[in-house]
Amino acid sequence: MNRKHLWKWACVLFLLIGLMSIPFLGLDVAEAQKPIVLGAPLSTAFLYGWDSERAIKLAVEEINAKGGVTVGKEKRPFKVEVMDTRDLEPGVPVSDALLVVEKLILEKEADFIVGGPVRSEAALAAMDLLSKYKKVSILSTGVLTPLYHKRVGDEYEKFKYCFRITGEVVWMVTGEFIPCLMDIKAKYGLNKLFIMVQDVAHARAGGDIVEKMAKERGWEVLGKEVYPTGTTDYSVGLIKAKKDNAQVILIWMDMPETSILLKQWYDMKVPALPFGTIISAAEQPGFWKATEGKGEYCLASVVNAGNAPSKATPWTMRFVEAYQKRWGLEPEGYGTSTSYMTPYVLKDAIERAGSLKSDDVVTALEKTDMMGVYGRIKFNPKNHQIIPSIDPNEGAVGTIFQWQAGKRITVFPPKIAMGEIKLPPWMKK
Amino acid sequence: MHILIYGIINSFALALMAIGFTLVYGISRLPNFAHGALYVVTGFLVWSFLHLLKVHYILAILLSLVIMAMVGAMIYRFILIRVRGMATSEIIASYALGLAILEALRWGGFKGMTYTLPVFIEGSINISGIPVDLQRIIVIGIGIIVVTFMWLFTHYNKIGLALRGMAQDEHAAIMLGIDSDWMAVIAMSLGSILAGLSSIVLLPLGNIVVEAGYNVLILSIAVCIVGGLGSWVGAVLAAFMIGFVQIITVAYIQSHFHMVVALLAIIITLIVKPSGLFGKQKELEERV
Repeated sequence: MNRKHLWKWACVLFLLIGLMSIPFLGLDVAEAQKPIVLGAPLSTAFLYGWDSERAIKLAVEEINAKGGVTVGKEKRPFKVEVMDTRDLEPGVPVSDALLVVEKLILEKEADFIVGGPVRSEAALAAMDLLSKYKKVSILSTGVLTPLYHKRVGDEYEKFKYCFRITGEVVWMVTGEFIPCLMDIKAKYGLNKLFIMVQDVAHARAGGDIVEKMAKERGWEVLGKEVYPTGTTDYSVGLIKAKKDNAQVILIWMDMPETSILLKQWYDMKVPALPFGTIISAAEQPGFWKATEGKGEYCLASVVNAGNAPSKATPWTMRFVEAYQKRWGLEPEGYGTSTSYMTPYVLKDAIERAGSLKSDDVVTALEKTDMMGVYGRIKFNPKNHQIIPSIDPNEGAVGTIFQWQAGKRITVFPPKIAMGEIKLPPWMKK
Repeated sequence: MHILIYGIINSFALALMAIGFTLVYGISRLPNFAHGALYVVTGFLVWSFLHLLKVHYILAILLSLVIMAMVGAMIYRFILIRVRGMATSEIIASYALGLAILEALRWGGFKGMTYTLPVFIEGSINISGIPVDLQRIIVIGIGIIVVTFMWLFTHYNKIGLALRGMAQDEHAAIMLGIDSDWMAVIAMSLGSILAGLSSIVLLPLGNIVVEAGYNVLILSIAVCIVGGLGSWVGAVLAAFMIGFVQIITVAYIQSHFHMVVALLAIIITLIVKPSGLFGKQKELEERV
């Protein structure tokens, strides 16, 4: 074989190698661009579902606009896959929500599960599924039951993939509602409480705890009414409250008909301050218009700061404004700021872990320590529940606001308050 | 005193919800399980006219009622006429239609708690020291007007008399030259208008939510079963019975059992007197 032939064969060989490497080059390019899929099982027809969906999408858009997530040496964007679990709808079985979670994992190939399921029963049932597929999940809306993080604590190895970045009911009652009630007592000398709750497990339990703790702290509890879901007339209960001279009406309901309750309260001029611990109708920015201002003076908890305007951290108002710009209204319900933070917390953990492997991300999430929209975000490493506080520098803070002149004014905790609690004019003697 | 006042209000609210349902069944023997959906649709229609098309409130109400009459007629002409006489199929078809309407509303973006209708008159009055808002007084007023109109219509109007004839004996009415299908169309239209009217009067008290459709249907069925399916006089009486028992339950037992009253009333009626209070036709059938 002469030199000419040798060159010819060498060129052919290089050409062949080059041609054969093209698909691999292509794969490499595709791999670099392959998105990290966030599966979001949410009850999208309800406030606690759609607010979460909007917030997750907003965060993902922001992250992707800045180049995405660094996984090892490559940059990868987030991609959100939202599926409707319908778990907040009456009569929809828990198994439907589980099917959605499984579909997100198997069909949509979700790398992480974020957002829901929203109803406690569905989220608790989904824990086993997440454990089976070893999928890291960050719960950011609904689900206030303490059982969720208790299960993680009790069976850590099994449920270590489950995190909750939003508040839970025990802290809400002991750390926020009762201290806020005590502030009202100290400031205005009010000490007569009337409780109205919805006939669902979390509200009944919440009402019982508040009743017990309020009594222990010098409140006189005049009565407790339990209303079935869908109740459209609260007149008898309000008349009872008025007759017994109640000064604060504590409401724990997540049904839309609570706006009827507040309209009746206004029309009847019941001389008692409505304190909505959970009161979904009053959480939304559109509530004022919907009640034609009759909901003024109503207090409402939105569980986490950032779901109503406040200056909890420098990021809080930036988030409120970004949400308003993107969706045309202020953050809506109690799952908004937490759902917004979820992709950011995941990004931080993935980048520190340098991989998408579940066990590595779990370890990184346990070491999360960042300032977010609603304060310092740290998980309890033993049960994966976000650490709460009334100081945003110490932990995740909640928010209780009051409707005042068409605006949601944050009034509790004091460190982030933008105003003071006011009493309706017909309460002043 | 508050039991009397709010008992009357609650009773008229129930009567308004149920009267359209019982009218359709009484005349055409069609159980219109889309009744709750029509109630909700009217609310959203009025809301859309008011807020999207910026139509005057009264005009929005009138337009919505006209549309509801047409919707009712179309439901019969295009869907229910095909399954007429097959009771199970009628229930399935109308219920499926109701579900489809409600889900379509949700799919169309009508979700959330911020859809409301303005009250007719703002303010409240005190009756013997009991505060009552004026919209609830209007519920009583419109309730009385509807009941009176129904009585006059079915006793002194040709169409009304024909409808009564159909309700009493369809075959005899047909032999006398009454067009059964045409009467069913009228009944469906009137039933839809009544569903719409109740929605227009009651929804300003709260907000318009898709889920209300299911509650309205359950309450309407309860009232009609207790009153006797097809008897609108029975429906009014049953509405008063259930309405007062509900208020007494809340006042003296527990608000928790408020919804149970309606469901318990269905069970007790079906055990003790399946034909209901005024279900004379059914009572005869049962005796035979």
